[in-house]
Amino acid sequence: MFRIALKGLLARKLRLFTTSLAVLLGVAFMAGTLVLTDTIGRTFDSIFAEATAGTDAVVRGKSAISLDFGTQRARVPATIVDTVRGVDGVADAEGLVEGYAQIVGRDGKAVGDPGQGAPTFGRNWLTVPALNPFRLVEGDPPAADDEVVLDRFTAGEAGVGIGDTATVLVEKGPQRVRVVGIATFGDADGSGGPTHVMWTGAAAQRLVGEPGSYDSVAAVADPGVSQEALRDRLAAAVPGDTEVITGEELTEENQSIVRKALGFFSTFLLTFAIVALLVGSFMIHNTFTIIVAQRGREMALMRAVGASRRQVLTGVLMEAVAVGLLASVLGMFAGIGIAAGLKGVLAGFGIDIPAGGIVFTAKTAVMSLIAGLGVSVASAYFPARRASKVPPVAAMRDLAFEHTGGSRRRTIVGATITAIGALLLFNGLFGDAGNALANVGAGAVVIFFGVAVLGPVFARPVSRLIGAPLPRLRGVTGRLARENAMRNPKRTASTAAALMIGVGLVGFITIFAASAKTSINESIDKAFTGDFVVDSGTFGFGGLSPELAASLKKLPEVRAAAGFRMGQAKIDGGTRYLGAVDPEEFGQIIDLDIAEGSFEDLRGDTFAVDTATARDQKWKVGTEVPAQFAHTGDKTLRLAAIYRRVDAGGQYLLPLETYAANFGQQFDARVFVSRAEGVTPEAARKAVEAVTAAYPNATLQDQTEFKEAQSAQINQMLGLIYVMLALAIVIAFLGIMNTLALSIFERTRELGLLRAVGMTRRQLRSAVRWEAVIIALFGTLLGLVVGLFFGWSLVQALKDSGIHKLTVPTGQLLFIVLIGALAGVAAAALPGRRAARLDVLKAITTE
Amino acid sequence: MRRGGTTIDATATPGTTTTSAAARAVGASKVYGHGDTQVTALHDVTVDFERGRFTAIMGPSGSGKSTLMHCLAGLDDLSAGKVYVGDVDLTTLDERRLTTLRRDKIGFVFQAFNLIPTLSALENITLPAALAGREPDRAWLDTVIATVGLGDRLTHRPSELSGGQQQRVAVARALAGRPDIVFADEPTGNLDSRSGAEILSFARQAVDDLGQTIVMVTHDPGAAAYADRVVFLADGRIVDELADPTAERVLDRMKSLEG
Repeated sequence: MFRIALKGLLARKLRLFTTSLAVLLGVAFMAGTLVLTDTIGRTFDSIFAEATAGTDAVVRGKSAISLDFGTQRARVPATIVDTVRGVDGVADAEGLVEGYAQIVGRDGKAVGDPGQGAPTFGRNWLTVPALNPFRLVEGDPPAADDEVVLDRFTAGEAGVGIGDTATVLVEKGPQRVRVVGIATFGDADGSGGPTHVMWTGAAAQRLVGEPGSYDSVAAVADPGVSQEALRDRLAAAVPGDTEVITGEELTEENQSIVRKALGFFSTFLLTFAIVALLVGSFMIHNTFTIIVAQRGREMALMRAVGASRRQVLTGVLMEAVAVGLLASVLGMFAGIGIAAGLKGVLAGFGIDIPAGGIVFTAKTAVMSLIAGLGVSVASAYFPARRASKVPPVAAMRDLAFEHTGGSRRRTIVGATITAIGALLLFNGLFGDAGNALANVGAGAVVIFFGVAVLGPVFARPVSRLIGAPLPRLRGVTGRLARENAMRNPKRTASTAAALMIGVGLVGFITIFAASAKTSINESIDKAFTGDFVVDSGTFGFGGLSPELAASLKKLPEVRAAAGFRMGQAKIDGGTRYLGAVDPEEFGQIIDLDIAEGSFEDLRGDTFAVDTATARDQKWKVGTEVPAQFAHTGDKTLRLAAIYRRVDAGGQYLLPLETYAANFGQQFDARVFVSRAEGVTPEAARKAVEAVTAAYPNATLQDQTEFKEAQSAQINQMLGLIYVMLALAIVIAFLGIMNTLALSIFERTRELGLLRAVGMTRRQLRSAVRWEAVIIALFGTLLGLVVGLFFGWSLVQALKDSGIHKLTVPTGQLLFIVLIGALAGVAAAALPGRRAARLDVLKAITTE
Repeated sequence: MRRGGTTIDATATPGTTTTSAAARAVGASKVYGHGDTQVTALHDVTVDFERGRFTAIMGPSGSGKSTLMHCLAGLDDLSAGKVYVGDVDLTTLDERRLTTLRRDKIGFVFQAFNLIPTLSALENITLPAALAGREPDRAWLDTVIATVGLGDRLTHRPSELSGGQQQRVAVARALAGRPDIVFADEPTGNLDSRSGAEILSFARQAVDDLGQTIVMVTHDPGAAAYADRVVFLADGRIVDELADPTAERVLDRMKSLEG
């Protein structure tokens, strides 16, 4: 049996290849993701190991808030350094300062993009060599307040060298510095992305930290003192609001933070790999269904001459195993190339990550094998089982082709599966399910399966409808194309179903993005009564110095300038993102549409929330809620106001003074500006521009530009997702190609007859092309229907989060339909050529 | 009735011998393969098929009768020699011109699988005209359909028709375009004797009443007896000819050929 199966395979090399390709692409994407994330992981591991290589113990603040990635903690007083130095077993110790500092390059632009890319650090130049991961290779360490050392990477990016002066943006505003030294990170030019500006300890404290305190204190042990021993001795000596960990623990902690971030990143990419594999499995299933139908007679003959069902089943599955093995092994190696490609694509979208060398782990190999083999064999199993059930007597009969599309049973089963999927989806979106995302994902997959089961019910009528203009446009060629697309609804449907998945997701994301844009634009229109926004482009690390808002406020052309700060704190037990504003200034520019309470009451230890949050948490104006800040510990906040426009202010708002008192760093993510009465927008802009010019990390936008910038951000994400989903669509078109090729093979005699009675090659190609277009359009339309449903569901679920208006971008969706049709044309090219090249005489005389 | 005097016999018109034949082969040879595996299917065959006549080509299997027909119909090419349909030398035509020639000048009836399963009977009949983008000649179409007697079956798909009905549709298709010549390859091979006789009567009628030229490959002496003339092939050569055949006489000749 094995030899027969193998022989069959080699006789059909081309099909083996195209079928394998469908799975191979998915496996390659998966392997590529794993290789990329492993490589990035290893790169970061070594960066962090290098950074803390000489550190034996670290003393730091105990008060901390765990954030999504990393921890925010309180600083320690500078006096602790002396305490630490005095502990027995400590060879030396030094305080560390680290904060935001962005150097301005020679071209006047800020170097780096902490909003999207690597952070831009300001720190103190460590004088204890064992603690300093940087090595001075040129010049001197900083001695004066305005002297800095740069790592070679940062110096190169900024285009400055020793002796040059440069501007550095910090919390206290732009600073002039003089470069006195160039350092390397270990032996490398930089630390893989971030920029570093290193001052003297005092200057660093003043500019990027807090005078009189350090972020942490690092210690080097005496020879013979273990890290653990040092930690324990230090722990006994330092104040109770600090904690001590070993250098190794710190390294591991840093590495695990990156691991966690990488985990999200990897999951994001793997989602697309899974989509690709899912589409591939549809194609494998379809291909095997067709093969089995075409070889039904051969299999019946095998049964007649004594092959058992099991042997027939094994025979078919052998082909699936071969397909899977080929796909796994080739996909694994292609994954290495994909990893580089992915890195390039991500870099193109502004996500530049350091990755040196290629890390190919056993896990990648095993997962590739499991995915490739698993998908192939599982998808081929049911067709194979059907084949094994062929009665031996069928060898003597003509095989009846299956023309049936929708049976009652199919309709009921398909509708039920779809409904279950919808329930899962809704449960994830609206319910209190433990893992909402898993529910949504599972729901989406089940819906795809349900619609795929329903597909044959629609295939015939929808194909008829899509193909309706064809007979008039293309005469008998068009008529034949339409009939061919309709003749085997199951085949048409399952071929289209593969495409449906990719298009469904593309349609969904397009609709969702359009809805988000409309909602954002609308809320900007409604809420933003000011004239300009000065945007930093970052929400987490760094931002605009509060000096900027202060300077703007002083301008006679400006009526109000409101900085918007962001941070995280624990409120009523949960870590929340919050914004902070000066209610007086902010209230003049942004209309939050207060529902209860008063915005003027937002003073002192108070906060405001949007109506949905207040409802969910059952808070009323006046409710007192426990809060915890990393820097200052436990506080109690009173709810002062409830507002309707969540998209303008976020879910939680603090008064600026409260933020300033409880956060270690003060940066405005944005500054909203409105001009004074009687000042023209042009004059106001000129005045504002004169101030922002000193802040190269600031972008000045008027309302229209602000909206455009918001849309551009969405478009960028949209673009990235499109690129990632392109693979699923490519696989689906391979599926159309495969189906057409198999159908053409099956119709050899018919095609021969057509050619004999006078169909030209061009007409034949056209017929194949239009058949492909019908199938592609059917898949595209199914996908758009599903996508529309997903989009609608998500918009419903996010009503409270500011995306309140479902927008169906007709133009874009029509464009998707057009692309679908064109891709159908492309998919038909090869099979059509093959059909046209058919030897007429051979075709009409084949059995 | 079978051999009516109304047939237009072009050979009867003097001085037009080059155009008198609806199709002809001149020194036609066909060789398959190379070297040791070389097989000669046709060996310097020269033969005319007169207009308005019904000719049967007979011969044992492997005699080259199908090859001759395929070459005459532009489905296969010659190794040497020439074949003409009307005045057109098929050996000078490229693939595209051959296709349109088949569409416009030639009708086909094959042994089996004559119809496109997705098209109705009527659509199958008008397929060559539709491929050419022409409206079929309505009056002629009605005549043809009436001749083969398909009136109430026109909207049916081939799968809803019996084998005999399917062949009748095929005959109607072959005749519908008023081709210069109709080639029939064992048209009754898959039919029971009654349906077969029906098809052959239609062919005869088409020649007698409609002035059609038909060339039919067959191995059935009974079928050949419907023709005006029988050409015998053996080993790729024309070995004999018989005018106004009867089944018995054809059988005798066949026996002598095989013996």
